[in-house]
Amino acid sequence: MRFPELLTNGMKQRIVDMGDCEDHSALRKTAAFLADYASLLLGCGSTCIRIEKNTRRMAEAFGVDLGIFIMPDHVAVSVWRGDCAHAETAQRKTVSCGISFDLNTRLSRLSWKVADNGLSLHAALECFERIKTMTKPTGKWEVLILTSFANAAFCRLFGGDWYAMLIVFLSTLAGFRLKQIMLEDGRDVRLTFLCASFFSASISAGGHIFNIGSTPELALGTSVLFLIPGVPYINSVSDLIYRHYLCAFSRFLDAAVLTACLSAGLCAGMLILGLKWF
Amino acid sequence: MWNDIFVNIFEDGFFAAIAAIGFSSISNTPRRAYLTCAVIAAIGHAIRYVLTLPELGSLHIIPASAAASFAIGLCAVLLAPRIKCPAEVCFFPALLPMIPGMYAYRTIEALLSCLYHTQEDMFSHYFYLFAFNGLTCAFIILGMVVGATIPVFILKKLSFTATR
Repeated sequence: MRFPELLTNGMKQRIVDMGDCEDHSALRKTAAFLADYASLLLGCGSTCIRIEKNTRRMAEAFGVDLGIFIMPDHVAVSVWRGDCAHAETAQRKTVSCGISFDLNTRLSRLSWKVADNGLSLHAALECFERIKTMTKPTGKWEVLILTSFANAAFCRLFGGDWYAMLIVFLSTLAGFRLKQIMLEDGRDVRLTFLCASFFSASISAGGHIFNIGSTPELALGTSVLFLIPGVPYINSVSDLIYRHYLCAFSRFLDAAVLTACLSAGLCAGMLILGLKWF
Repeated sequence: MWNDIFVNIFEDGFFAAIAAIGFSSISNTPRRAYLTCAVIAAIGHAIRYVLTLPELGSLHIIPASAAASFAIGLCAVLLAPRIKCPAEVCFFPALLPMIPGMYAYRTIEALLSCLYHTQEDMFSHYFYLFAFNGLTCAFIILGMVVGATIPVFILKKLSFTATR
């Protein structure tokens, strides 16, 4: 920085300090934005490689260097210019918004807007807030109907007949509705999975007890498959490939616990109705 | 015979497409991606069906799933830029109908049965089922994700610029 000769040394020092202050304030805001962004992306079920790439892309566009530390429940972002000794760090808890590919798509698009259109931090923040408030989950009735059809189709893929498909459709409709109600009530997700699988299995066991159709055992087996947490399983292997072992392990355990809960619900249903397990 | 096989392949793809749309709705996939997910899932599942058929591929389910996932990954990477969605938005829902859910919960059932039976022969039987289902499930998922990720690796630039 060049100063006019009239300024005293003290004044020059104050100007340098003010410049540093402004720079640190801008860095702090950038770090806070990137940490918010990364925590929302992690919460909506994005893979670690996607989070890294998107945040790094935006950091480069803002002209800062980036260090990102992704843990299963937290994200820490550090940004600096040139000298990393003056880095600003922001840490955020993972947003628990449920898996949303819609949110993932919009956030990825925002990162390209920042990189390609040279969006300022202020404009990017506005866009980010709009995405947070405007992105609505898919309608619950639409999801309920589509999932019921999906599980019935799944039953067919395993070789179930039309009666088995109908049983699976009805049991999924009931089980998934129970899951929606319990989650809306704020119940624990593991208890929800246990109850929903128990409910679905008990209804679909009717096909076995009353000998409806030629494949009642397939109806019973596939009636709870809509609860299998497929996305966390896939995410965990993806993180494993990109050497994010802690996140991979955490996502795998989350999925395994939910699978254990739904299996326990299924077993409880079969036990109460006196059916053989294998 | 070939007529039946073609009908079965078409039926397999059709029901996989319905399953993909339903399961993608749970994950809040954008509506414009439904059709792409359905087509990719149909192609992938039909490939796996053909590869596991005794008359055609007669492959084990693990390599068949990996090969089908490779096709899913490739289609997803190529089609994702058309609908302006990240590649995983297309291939995750397409992979979901191939997730070995039955093996997953049978693993837990077998584990519970191990605890329930104290006699050695019954315990060994259920422990065998636990190991068999658990290993099959784990390796199917591993094969699927590795298979679907290879195209993302190969076409890295295209994969990460789909939403540009």
